[in-house]
Amino acid sequence: MDLKLAIFKPMLKLAMERNGHGAALGFELTKIGRGEVEMTFPYKEEVIGNPITGVIHGGVIVSLLDTCCGTAAITMLDRPAITPTMDLRLDYMHPAEPHQPIYVSAKVYRNTSNVLFCRGSAWQDDPENPIAHCVATFMKVETPSISLGNVLRRRFNRLIRGDKAFEREADR
Amino acid sequence: MNTKLAQMQADLLQARGLAEPQKILDIIPYSSFIGAQARVENERVLYWLERRASNIGNPSLPAIHGGVIGGFLELSAAIEILYTLDVGQIPKVVDFSLDYLRPGRYKTIYANCTVLRQGKKLVNVTATAWQDDPQTPIATARCHFLIA
Repeated sequence: MDLKLAIFKPMLKLAMERNGHGAALGFELTKIGRGEVEMTFPYKEEVIGNPITGVIHGGVIVSLLDTCCGTAAITMLDRPAITPTMDLRLDYMHPAEPHQPIYVSAKVYRNTSNVLFCRGSAWQDDPENPIAHCVATFMKVETPSISLGNVLRRRFNRLIRGDKAFEREADR
Repeated sequence: MNTKLAQMQADLLQARGLAEPQKILDIIPYSSFIGAQARVENERVLYWLERRASNIGNPSLPAIHGGVIGGFLELSAAIEILYTLDVGQIPKVVDFSLDYLRPGRYKTIYANCTVLRQGKKLVNVTATAWQDDPQTPIATARCHFLIA
């Protein structure tokens, strides 16, 4: 494994697991390969969608698959760029069993000059019997604003000002 | 189990009677996890999601997590069914399709839903999300739910 990838992977893992909604959900990225990502999500009562059955809300599956596919898309980049989601389509095959972890995997199946095509699936006991399946497309947008210097500057800003830094940037 | 269901159905009737869709959101734990709220405005239900740090996806922009926008629209669509139709159980989502049109900036997101078709078993709902202006949506979604 080359040095660039060796540094990039833990940074990506940290960025996904420790920030914002990723941290709130509390999933773990268990595998990051080029164009292939896997993660695990433990059951949480805060995200229940059906209070009668205890089944988690579909929105959690949307977040998990979007994150997993998005991370897989980022691993395909050769230059600094962001990969906003263009569209995401999910099919729910059966409800997730409460109190059981959910496993998610995503794969980039086509990499073109502007668009990345991904598919992902979420399952519990058997990968062949998924709870949901999705296809997602991501745009490649090259941007100077995500240079290492800029990212570090924002990080530093946030460290000092906390969440206020977000609000200031949003209001600008 | 049955008492829980009866309680939920009573809550649904009360929410419709009082025209307070927020009472339906309160039944579902996921809505407070992301911070979704609802009220009736111009005879439609307006859903909104105030900004909070735990909904951020990309901290360097900063932008709202795409999954949160998706989850919020899916939740709104389900509430729209529970509020406007005579349904006594949480609808089961079958499929969900989301187009991201603009980045979700770190501020309040609003949404409206429309039930396009209601069958005996299946309901088709569309949801649109915006921030500054309803004419410039940040995302649109459509979903199918089983209600029986």
